[in-house]
This record gives sequence, structure tokens and C-alpha cells, in this order.
Amino acid sequence: MRVQPAGYLCLVLHCHLPYVRHPEHDRFLEENWLYEAISDTYIPLLRVMDGLVRDGVDFRLTTTLSPPLISMLRDPLLISRYERHINRLIELASKEVHRTAYQPELHRLATMYLERFLQTRNAFTNEYGHDLVGAFGRLQELGKLEIITCGATHGFLPLLNVVPSAVRAQLRTAVAHYEETFGRPPHGIWLPECGYFPGLDEVLRDVGIQFFFTESHGLLYAEPRPRYGVHAPVFCPTGIAAFARDLESSKQVWSAEEGYPGDPAYRDYYRDIGWDLDYDYIRPYIQPDGKRGSTGIKYCRITGRTDQKQVYDRAWAMERAADHAGNFVFNRGRQVEWLGPTMDRPPIVVAPYDAELFGHWWFEGPEWIDFLFRKLHFDQQVVEPITPAEYLERHEINQVCTPCGSSWGHKGYHEVWLNGGNDWIYRHLHAAARRMEELTHRFAKADGLTQRALAQAGRELLLAQSSDWAFIMKTGTMVEYAVKRTKDHVARFTRLYEQLLAGRVDAGWLKDIEEKDNIFPSLDHRNFS
Amino acid sequence: MSSDIPDRYGRTELVLMVMDPLHLFAYWEVTPESLREAQDALGAEMDGARAVVRFYDISLIHFDGANAHHTFDIDVGLEARGWYVPVWTADKSYCADLGFVARTGRFHAITRSNVIHTPRASVSGNTAERWMRVKFVRRRKPDRARPLEYVPAPELPRRLSPDEWRALRERLAREKALADARFAAGGMPSSPEKGF
Repeated sequence: MRVQPAGYLCLVLHCHLPYVRHPEHDRFLEENWLYEAISDTYIPLLRVMDGLVRDGVDFRLTTTLSPPLISMLRDPLLISRYERHINRLIELASKEVHRTAYQPELHRLATMYLERFLQTRNAFTNEYGHDLVGAFGRLQELGKLEIITCGATHGFLPLLNVVPSAVRAQLRTAVAHYEETFGRPPHGIWLPECGYFPGLDEVLRDVGIQFFFTESHGLLYAEPRPRYGVHAPVFCPTGIAAFARDLESSKQVWSAEEGYPGDPAYRDYYRDIGWDLDYDYIRPYIQPDGKRGSTGIKYCRITGRTDQKQVYDRAWAMERAADHAGNFVFNRGRQVEWLGPTMDRPPIVVAPYDAELFGHWWFEGPEWIDFLFRKLHFDQQVVEPITPAEYLERHEINQVCTPCGSSWGHKGYHEVWLNGGNDWIYRHLHAAARRMEELTHRFAKADGLTQRALAQAGRELLLAQSSDWAFIMKTGTMVEYAVKRTKDHVARFTRLYEQLLAGRVDAGWLKDIEEKDNIFPSLDHRNFS
Repeated sequence: MSSDIPDRYGRTELVLMVMDPLHLFAYWEVTPESLREAQDALGAEMDGARAVVRFYDISLIHFDGANAHHTFDIDVGLEARGWYVPVWTADKSYCADLGFVARTGRFHAITRSNVIHTPRASVSGNTAERWMRVKFVRRRKPDRARPLEYVPAPELPRRLSPDEWRALRERLAREKALADARFAAGGMPSSPEKGF
């Protein structure tokens, strides 16, 4: 018989990247986002979880795998390019081992990187058979992992909702894609950027989703006031559950100043040999256009705003990660003990993070997660890791509230995706969504070339709707790329729309963009009605 | 193929969007035909007329065109692609008309917008509770039409007395101070048995 814990910890990792795939170029800079995430985050996390299973550590993790990410992880072209990428890293690390032969501290690290990259390649190729999505799926079948879905292309739903069929299409497509991938419907969703608006739960109900997440004020400002704040989910009027982020646990990990990742023992992301070493030596391993950039090999630990950099000490960093994991467990225990007496069930602490924080920005992140689950399992019984599905199975009675429209973006609403830098996109996204709806009614039955053109129009619309483009336009790096993606997809959609109305689809051009923008091969254009 | 996106969509429309509880965004397009219609309707009054977006606060009502709680005009340049509009209170519903206000005060509406709702920016004062029981469904979709079961609000297990509350707070504060000190010194208790 299980002892009821004093509280639950729901750790959520959001794995998402925008769909970036450029077969027309041999190497394309922005594809590196995927390769770095695979090496730095997804493979380390999978290896941590496999280790926990092997060692009999019971754990629960919730993770989003967004449809674009799943598509890229299963794309043969990107898989082969990833292998090329990791091989190049292994070559660079080998050279570094050689170059630092007489510098013991650096040599130790270069050796660490070489071993690490070799392990990564071995895991990718042999352990996981090039199929990371399958590896995540197996952990879900074991009951340790709950994989939730996301918007089809991570569209920011509150701003797409000017044309409600756009929201329906994002969700219908995501759910269908999840079912194809994992053989069952998704239980829950990570709303893109936690972008929620009252009434969205009706669309979620229609596609069979049972829970979602909001930013803290999504529940704190809900109507009526939730009795338990963010420490229990609420049911929307439709019976769909909303879980909200706990701020206290977030700060400990997220905060640049106070959070764990800023500790001086940890590796400094920004001191990369791509910036520091001789140009001719490093040239084959940085950006295809010759501009210096990150390689993934970094030798310094965090030392703040000074040019006097200190060498990274792996053993010390691991000690720190263990300390920080213990600290996190301890604080959650005190937190739930404090909350418990005022609640009729154990409080839940929902701790969601962008997955790439773990391993990519915070190098020691995956090891922190490893220590965290081991300490939760072996060292205490106050806090129990849980998934939202398990919580809802144990606690069927919840308060009914309408969450507040909100997001987890800067300032908590829509400003990040609607401001002077990106507001121009919306007249195009809304017009295209309306036109796509018009096409689904005009061509209720379609086959052959027409049906293919309709599906491709849907793909172009979905790709244009990625909130990533608006986000990049706001945050300022790679703006040209984001603008080009938006314009390319809107332009392709518009041309398809005009060709369909004119009854003259250009088959050669259609084949060309089907090969380039090949997400969701079995997309049903009726999703857009 | 160049990325030619349309400059205009050939339909007159006004679209409102929410930026945050206290800021709206409006964009519009006015076709030459709509402009001609406006000129015909206003006639001589077109001279000196201002282009405005007229906002209606229609929170919680069925808007019949005349029963808004509150109305305000924002002067706009018709050629502008978009406009940001500050408002005063959160949690409201709005729609708007794009049109011309003549010097005489007469208003000619060109087009009406969609309805938007600004979100809350504060904790609700409404503490009337309702509670539901919903059975979670594994591995398949729940029946869309399943009825929703309302249940009485749960009792709290036990109310703590003020003394008990104080004792609990003090104990937790002591533990936290101890943990913080140990943490700052570089070591951490990872289990409660290690001596409080």
C-alpha cells in the first residue's frame, strides 16, 4: 500500500524546435539548432532516463515532443546530416586532445569531450537506432514518461484565434500526428508558450485532450479564485484540467542571477573554442559561411564579467549538481509541508522548463535531473514525482474555474508575439487562414493534384504560423531568417490558393515545394474547416 | 520564386487583437470602393473629416450598436497598417468601427471589427466555488458528450489554530535558515535524518 506523500512534483520538459530543413543547401546554419539539441539535450536526457530504469529508480517525467521536432527527428536527410555533424565534432575533439597534450587541465577536458561525443554517436546509432522518438516512446510504455503534444507548428493560439479555424487546425493536426507517432491519442498538451485564452478548452475537448498547462497567473487570476492557487489543477467549465506553473521552484532553476545554472562551478556556455582558437584551425568546424560560432567544446567555468577565465573542473561541477539537486528536493519538501495543512489533498508543484536549458545552456542540467530523481527515490518520502494523468486519476474532484488569458512570455500576455517588430505578419496569417477555410469548403471532395495542392496549402499555412518566427523577430538574432520563412510560406500559400481557384495547379512547382516543405505527409486539408 | 506576399487583400476589414490587459492592436484595410462609398455618403462633410477607430466597451452585453457602456475615438492615419491603443481597465470586451468623423460630428462607419476580450490582470474577488468530478481516460479519447458531474466542495481536513499556524511557520523558517546556511557553506542535507 502506497503511503500518500506530503506533496507531488510534476517536472515538465518542453522539447520543441521550429521546422528547419533545407535540402537545397548542403549545410545550413539554422539546422544546427537541431543537431546541438540532439547532442546536448535529447540524448543526455534519454541516457539519464535509461540509467534510472536500469537502476530501479522509480521516476515520473512529463515531456512535450512538438510535432515539428518529431518530424525532424525522423527525417532521413536530417538524421544523416546529424551523423555528419557528430562525426565532425569527434574529429575536432580528437585534434583538441592532440593539441592540448602538454596542457593537463585542458587535455583532461578535451578527452572528456571526445569520450562524450563518441558515447553520443554510439547511443544515437547503436542504442537508439537513429530513432530518438522511438526511445522516448519506449520510456512512455514503461510508465515513467508522459509524452504530451503541442500545437502542430507551435502557433501562438491566442493571436491566431482571430480566425478560429486556425486554432482548430493547429490542434487537430497535432493530435493526428501524435496518434500516428505513438499509437494512441495524447492525454495532454503543452500549449505553445502556454498561450491560453478562455474558451480554448472547448477546442481541446473537441480533439480529446484532457489537460494543459498555464503560466502561474493563468490560475492565480482565474475566475472564480482557485482555492488552492497553483498547487492544484482546476477544471475548465468543459472538464478539461489546467495545471499552472509554480513560481518558487521555477526561480531556483530559471533565474540567471539566483538560479543554480549561474553557479561558478558550472561550465560557461559562451567561452567556446569556436571563438577563441586560431581561425584556420577552427574554420572547418564553425559556421558554413566562415563566421565564428559555437562548436560545443568549451573549457571555462563561469566567472562572471571578467576576462580572467578559469578552467572548468568537471568533478567540482558534478558535486555542485548533486548539491543543487539535494537543495531542490529539500526545498520542495518544505514547500509542500507548508502548503499541505490548508489543502484536502497533497499539493502539486508544477515545474516546467524548456528542455534545452538542460544540457545545452546548463551543461550539467541532465546530471542534475539524474541526481534529483535518485534523491527523490532513495533519500526521502515527502515529495513524489507524478505526471498530470496520474494526478487526475487519483484526484478526480477539482474546482471549476476559468483560467485567465495568459502566456509564459515576457510580461505574461501577448506582447512578445505582437509588437512593432512583428505585428505586420498577422494580416497575412489571418487572411491565409480565412482563405484556407474557404478552400476546404470549396473543395469538399478532392483528389489527385487538387487534393495534393490543398494539403500543401495547409502545410504552408501551418509553417507560416510558427510562433518561433515572431519570437525571433522580437528577440533580434536571426531576424532575416525568420522574416524570410514567414514570407516564403505566405507567398507559397497565396500562389497555391490562386492556382486552386483558377483550377490550374502547376504540378512541377507543387512537387518542388512538397519536397522542401514536407512536414505532415498525411495532412488532411479538412482539418482547416 | 521570389517571396511576393500580397500588399493588399482586396477586402475592407478592421481587425482587433489583444496585446495585454491594457493594450489593444488594430489593423485594417480599406478598398477604394469603400472609400468612394464613404465620400458619397458624407458628401460635402467629407471636407475636414477625420479617420477614426471608434471603440465600444461591450463587456457582458449583447451589443445592438447603441448600448455600449462606453465609447471612445482614436484618430488614425488611414494609410497606417496598424495602431496600438491603450485602454484603462482589464477584463473587458471591445469591438470597433473604422470610419470618418465629419466636422459636424457626424460619423460614417466603413466597417465593424471582430469582438475581443482583454484578460484579467489581478486576482478575482469572486470566491464562490464550484467543484466537479471528472474521470480521467487512459489511452483513448473521452466521450465528447460525457455529462459533467458537479459535486459539493470538499471540507478541509482540519483548521489549524493560530498557535499551530505560528508554530508551523517558525519551524519551517528555522529549517530553511539552517538549510540555506549549509548550502552557502557548500554542503547539503539531502535527507531529513541528517540532524535537524
